[in-house]
Amino acid sequence: MAKLVSLVSGGIDSPVATYLMIRRGVEIVAVHMDNRPFTDDKNLDKALQLVRHLQDLTGTPIRTYIVPHGPNHIVFARNCNRHLHCLFCRRMMYRVAERIAEREGAVGILTGESMGQVASQTVQNINVVNQVAKLPIIRPLIALDKQEIIEIARKIGTYEISTLPGLCCTIVPEQPSTAAKLPDVIAEEEKIDIESLVEKSLEGMYVLAPEAL
Amino acid sequence: MYSLLKPCKTSAAFEAIPRERFSLDLDRCEEILRPVCTIVAHAGVLLIVNDRCEVSIHRDGRLILKTGLQELATEQAGRIAGWLEGTDALRMHRDAGMSGRHQRK
Repeated sequence: MAKLVSLVSGGIDSPVATYLMIRRGVEIVAVHMDNRPFTDDKNLDKALQLVRHLQDLTGTPIRTYIVPHGPNHIVFARNCNRHLHCLFCRRMMYRVAERIAEREGAVGILTGESMGQVASQTVQNINVVNQVAKLPIIRPLIALDKQEIIEIARKIGTYEISTLPGLCCTIVPEQPSTAAKLPDVIAEEEKIDIESLVEKSLEGMYVLAPEAL
Repeated sequence: MYSLLKPCKTSAAFEAIPRERFSLDLDRCEEILRPVCTIVAHAGVLLIVNDRCEVSIHRDGRLILKTGLQELATEQAGRIAGWLEGTDALRMHRDAGMSGRHQRK
């Protein structure tokens, strides 16, 4: 059975994407990038509740990694162009997910991205974040609109969990770039030691076994 | 200084919106607030804790107050405004009060 690393936030989209791929017979390893202190504790709680719900719903055990991402935000915000922040964030998520995939023997990364939904999810920006990954990025929701995603979320019972109170990321820039250029993003990333950030994220992460959820 | 508090979309926090357009020098804000609050992070936004309420202070003057209690959010926004108003951390814009989101009553 093919295995994918699924980036699971506490939001509406990623659990739906994960569910759709489980239904296709894919084994899932969940990764939650923990944005605290730029979100609150409720987002982590919601992500874990969502994984537990998907386990119960599908009868599939899901191992879950929780990775500290707040310190990465601080480094990017202090050293790099603020308009590109969401791209640095996503590229870092993919780097970490790829390292976890290596460890888990997974063959791709699964995300709940959907075209045009937020600033980082334009075609140009998706191209920029794609360039950082060697593994394929699977985006089952890419062509769905929000209402279609919500309908599936309601049907599978994740909507109620995803919409529980939880603070959105507060370090999102005032004017995020919607059409970033790869050379600009790479030039900014060269100002910092990306590899050391990835290593620190991996050192700080912890894993929850399916039965621990 | 702040005229409106509206709940964030998931009701986990309140947002305080400046009555007039101004920007904040977050370095100066940090210096001013350090004696009275705990500074959690200064990185694009200034994240502080005051009386167990976490507040994100943005360059455009917005505050995100991490509490579901409107009374506490109002009190905290007022307190922060009191600390910053009249200091050189706050720069009024020439078109103050004239545009977009800052025009809300």
